[in-house]
Amino acid sequence: MTTSPFQVTSRLVKDVAIVYPRGYLNNLSGEGLVNECGKHARAGMKKIVVNFRETDLINSIGISFLLNIMEDLQTAGGTLCFTEMKKVHLDTFEMLGLTKYFLFFPDEQATLQALRTQGG
Amino acid sequence: MELRKALYNISALADLGTEITAEKNFQEKLGSLLHVVLGTFLAGKGAIAYREKPECEVAFVARKGFDDLSVADIDLGPLLAAGKNRPYRPAANEALVSAGVEVITPLWDRNDFIGFVLLGRKFTAEQYTEDDLEILGMIAHQIAITLKNHALFHHVTEQLEENRKLYEEMRRIYHDTLQAFAAAIDAKDVYTRHHSQRVAKYSVAIARELGWSEHDIEGIYVAGFLHDVGKLVISNEILNKKTPFTPDEMKEIRRHSLLSYKIISQIKFPWKDVEKIVKHHHERLDGTGYPDALSKEDLSEGAKILTLADSFDAMTSERAYRKKMDVRKALAELKNCLHKQFDDKILLAFCKVLDKEIRGELPEPDILPHIDRGSDLSVISTLLEGLIEELSGDNREG
Repeated sequence: MTTSPFQVTSRLVKDVAIVYPRGYLNNLSGEGLVNECGKHARAGMKKIVVNFRETDLINSIGISFLLNIMEDLQTAGGTLCFTEMKKVHLDTFEMLGLTKYFLFFPDEQATLQALRTQGG
Repeated sequence: MELRKALYNISALADLGTEITAEKNFQEKLGSLLHVVLGTFLAGKGAIAYREKPECEVAFVARKGFDDLSVADIDLGPLLAAGKNRPYRPAANEALVSAGVEVITPLWDRNDFIGFVLLGRKFTAEQYTEDDLEILGMIAHQIAITLKNHALFHHVTEQLEENRKLYEEMRRIYHDTLQAFAAAIDAKDVYTRHHSQRVAKYSVAIARELGWSEHDIEGIYVAGFLHDVGKLVISNEILNKKTPFTPDEMKEIRRHSLLSYKIISQIKFPWKDVEKIVKHHHERLDGTGYPDALSKEDLSEGAKILTLADSFDAMTSERAYRKKMDVRKALAELKNCLHKQFDDKILLAFCKVLDKEIRGELPEPDILPHIDRGSDLSVISTLLEGLIEELSGDNREG
């Protein structure tokens, strides 16, 4: 497990990078999250999971950074998964029409299972 | 869904307020404001351009994307003609359209054009709705106020800096004037060259040792410089006389402290009692001094400091009628006149200053280098240690 500034950590499970943002997803943690995902994408990881279990709030700034990650993964032809996201946040993403740009799973196990099934 | 969308927009406006009032530097704040706008409207690209003063060029101060777009390529005419803080689609502006700008919003605060906000296409590829433009207008107005406040703050800061420089310049001129005055005073008597400057320095050193505030220290520094200004009125023949003064001449000489007082009383100093300190620099604790024959209780600490500094410099400087004393003799003389002429607390502070100078504990040695270049410092040091111990005992008992 590696730790980067802005309280974002990540770990690798085979060909999947799981990223853990902590606290409020605003400008500081948002930038850290983009950097951490970007680091894995540049290393050739095509499957990135963002686990929101330690994220209390996602504000408009956080959404802006998440759009950045979605766009990067889309350009790279990768898969972006969100997991353990609070219902209120998922509802917000749904209302904004963003749920088609990522896969959502209730927990990490289900996410990894689905990505294994997806293959390659 | 409409309610959820409205709540999201309200929370975005709250985010904007949080970022506007956050304690961040201007650049970070602009970055955060841009992200609020991008996140609110799901725009992949965006930029904020800003003009600090009407005479300045508009320049991008925050942007995500639009890297190849230059403000110079944008025709500001339609932007200035558009409604204040009203977003619109820049269909006629080729540079903006080809860069992918979908919405542009001119930023105004009252009648001041401040800049503009650009937004690219939505990540979801949806069109900007009229509601979006309405909300963007509100956000733009807040951004315009933030930018204007920054410009005002910057202006005030610049003004403050200018005033500070002006103040420093005035201070410098003031001190130069003081020195010129002191030089004029000291030039009257060839034997008292730099006397006023030295008395000012010794007084400052004693006051600092006594824990005076920097403001009060500056006051006694000025008093030191000007304490003999009254001598300008005394004739050169008397001042430079090589034989003992007659009673009348002595009377004339003694007028100088009152004359100094009268001259500098005309100046409104920002420091307390400068003129009184000057007036009383020839008073004695035993009440036999002049011009008012005050006793210890009636004399201010400043007057006592100046008296000792003046006497010490007089003793250790050459005069027309005598050689200068060495430090040991001068210290012995000060001690001899303790309680009659000099205050023990002031002498103790002065001894501590000299002791610190010898020990190298003062940043700039100011007293001993002038008076006793060839002295054996260890002898002076031993003498000072004895005096400090004795005077400390006196002060504890007192």
